[in-house]
Amino acid sequence: MGHCRISPFLNLSLALLGLLFAGCGTVDLEVRQGNTNAAMQPRSVAILPFTLEEPVHEKVAPNELFRDCFYNYFSFLGYVDLPLETIDQKLSQAGLTDNKKILELSPEKLRKILGVDAVIRGRVLSASNFTGGIHAETSINAKIDMLDLRTGDVLWETEHKEMSYSGILSPTIVEIIQDQMDNVKVNQAYYKTAEMFSISMMKEIPDPADSWKEEIRLPKITSIETNLKPSLKLKPNDRIYVNLKGDPGLTGYFGIGSWKSDIPLKEIVPGLYTGSYTIKASDEVSSSLIVGKLKNKNGLTGKKFYKNGMAQFDPSPVN
Amino acid sequence: MLLLATLVSACASDLQTKVSGHLSGLSKHQRVAILPVEASDAGQKEMAKMFRQGLYANLKQSKFNLMEKYIVDGLLKQNNLNDPASFLTINPMQFGEILGADAIVFSRINKVERSYFIVHSSIELSVSVQMVDTRTGEILWRAEQTEHDFSGIGKIPTGIITALFAPIQFVTNKFNLRKMTSKMVDKLTALVKRPQDAEKDTQFEKTVIAKNATTDLNKIEELQQLKAEWNKALALDEEVLPVETYQEAQEKTLAPIKNSSSPVPVGQIQNQVPLRAVVRKVGTTDAEMTPATPEIKKQKTVAPGPLSAYRATPILFPRIDHRLSRMKTKSGKSINKMLYTVQVGAYKTKAYAQNLSKKLVKKGYNAFVIHNKVYKVQVDKFKDKQDALKLAQFILKKENLKNFITRATAG
Repeated sequence: MGHCRISPFLNLSLALLGLLFAGCGTVDLEVRQGNTNAAMQPRSVAILPFTLEEPVHEKVAPNELFRDCFYNYFSFLGYVDLPLETIDQKLSQAGLTDNKKILELSPEKLRKILGVDAVIRGRVLSASNFTGGIHAETSINAKIDMLDLRTGDVLWETEHKEMSYSGILSPTIVEIIQDQMDNVKVNQAYYKTAEMFSISMMKEIPDPADSWKEEIRLPKITSIETNLKPSLKLKPNDRIYVNLKGDPGLTGYFGIGSWKSDIPLKEIVPGLYTGSYTIKASDEVSSSLIVGKLKNKNGLTGKKFYKNGMAQFDPSPVN
Repeated sequence: MLLLATLVSACASDLQTKVSGHLSGLSKHQRVAILPVEASDAGQKEMAKMFRQGLYANLKQSKFNLMEKYIVDGLLKQNNLNDPASFLTINPMQFGEILGADAIVFSRINKVERSYFIVHSSIELSVSVQMVDTRTGEILWRAEQTEHDFSGIGKIPTGIITALFAPIQFVTNKFNLRKMTSKMVDKLTALVKRPQDAEKDTQFEKTVIAKNATTDLNKIEELQQLKAEWNKALALDEEVLPVETYQEAQEKTLAPIKNSSSPVPVGQIQNQVPLRAVVRKVGTTDAEMTPATPEIKKQKTVAPGPLSAYRATPILFPRIDHRLSRMKTKSGKSINKMLYTVQVGAYKTKAYAQNLSKKLVKKGYNAFVIHNKVYKVQVDKFKDKQDALKLAQFILKKENLKNFITRATAG
């Protein structure tokens, strides 16, 4: 008898526990293309605005929250991802403000507007946030894929429902109360659900980082010289000259410690950059190292410190 | 009340965080690199990866520009920096040059502890984080955080089965660890994302410089003073024959364009500070920020030829101090045979000159001290000026000691 009574109860409990954790953790992401050829892997990617298929009652946009969150996590992978503001700006400049219509654009047109190898399209099929009685639930059901704009192929896609649930199935009363308190903060609840969705996806999305690692090369600076001399205390109107030798055709800067950055250097002959900074009366700083910088078109910056001396400032008042 | 009390105690969190006032000075123009997270054992590796990912995603919303993870990892790999445990021993400025970053974030997983006792289980996570400005060595942010959560009777189970199963599920389901990590990083980064909101107790009272950076900055400052003293000593030297070393030749090439209408260049202005007679320790002559780990040494080591290769035609010289630069014969007649030597230092205090000389001798150089108004440290004597020049360049490259060629007498 005992066995008969416990067994269904145990089964029910296990089923409930199974239900409790359904929707959490694993994303079933289908990779359509192996992309074994590293040269064919998309390098630059833009995350298009996510659409919301069913409007939600709350004054939040779960699709926008999800996109922001997804971008934060996606940028951890080895793609060159276009900032969301840049994407929106480019789309807006092209007269595209309707998110659903953007998804319908041809790969060629998207490539022309955004100038990237691939885009990520997100459709939030449904989103809900509910707190009532002992029940608290937030869910996001979405379909996300990556479209190669060079070939028009879908590289991977997934449809997944991420849900954070608390209620009769929760194992403890404290958790029920805690989850309810958390769930009434709608924005936060959606963001947390989106975060779990994103984290789960990142485990599945192919990461091309290893293909690029060997190719990374910072702009090279072979030498940096300044006219700083030992024991000189800089005063207003004194000028610090900086000369830097390195890779030609780049953008040169120099900085003085952390208080003065990105003072431009001019390339006077290929590979030779020069610039200066005149000390102002308002410059109140202690000893600082001069650092030269060369930046390439990809935004990679090579740095070199001038280690033979520091910019030292005369603290005495100017007459 | 009981429930509330339990609720509060359910999820314990201890966060100690402090930021520097300069943190808010970072903007989108500054690049920040999040280094791989140090984890002491294999069990912490997954947590380390999750933590770094969370840190990255959270700080993506901050005011500064985060360097892509694959670029950071790629550059570290290229420089043979594969062990996160060694990162804190390296000067942040070197990271600045290796990664091109303005600030770097070090982090370490101190503890990932899961425990289970039938109806009770718990997870405890502990991390340390530090952000350092590579341009100044200043610590911009430092935090220690411990997060503790449990499942069990204390949380009032909804049934007997859940009382038994929930603790097992709590420690075995990776989803809980993920949730806790996410929560932890949220709290941890809140202040960094909005440093302007920092209360007085969460701000460093004064500028804190990372230990490794302090050592090297001190070396540079001391070297600068040493050079100043040396320059003064050189001014006293009448026999100086400056020889254009590689660096000097470079300086000439890179000489600033003088603009008559522009403010006077620093070197020519009248703000010369009187030189002090204090002579610094010779140990500070090591100007370069020397790598702290063998990994960097591999990358940075200059491989000049053996020292003996620069002694093609030296005059054999006993390793003794020479009090006079011009030795005279017994008859009082000067030995005018032209020889060349490499002068590496000049001091008012004999002990300091001898100290440098001894150090060089220990390294295999034929160094000696002569006295002519000041105590000069010289290395070897050569008939051929070219040989002296070769040694001068070798010393400059290997020891980072500025030097010049000067005449010497046989003796």
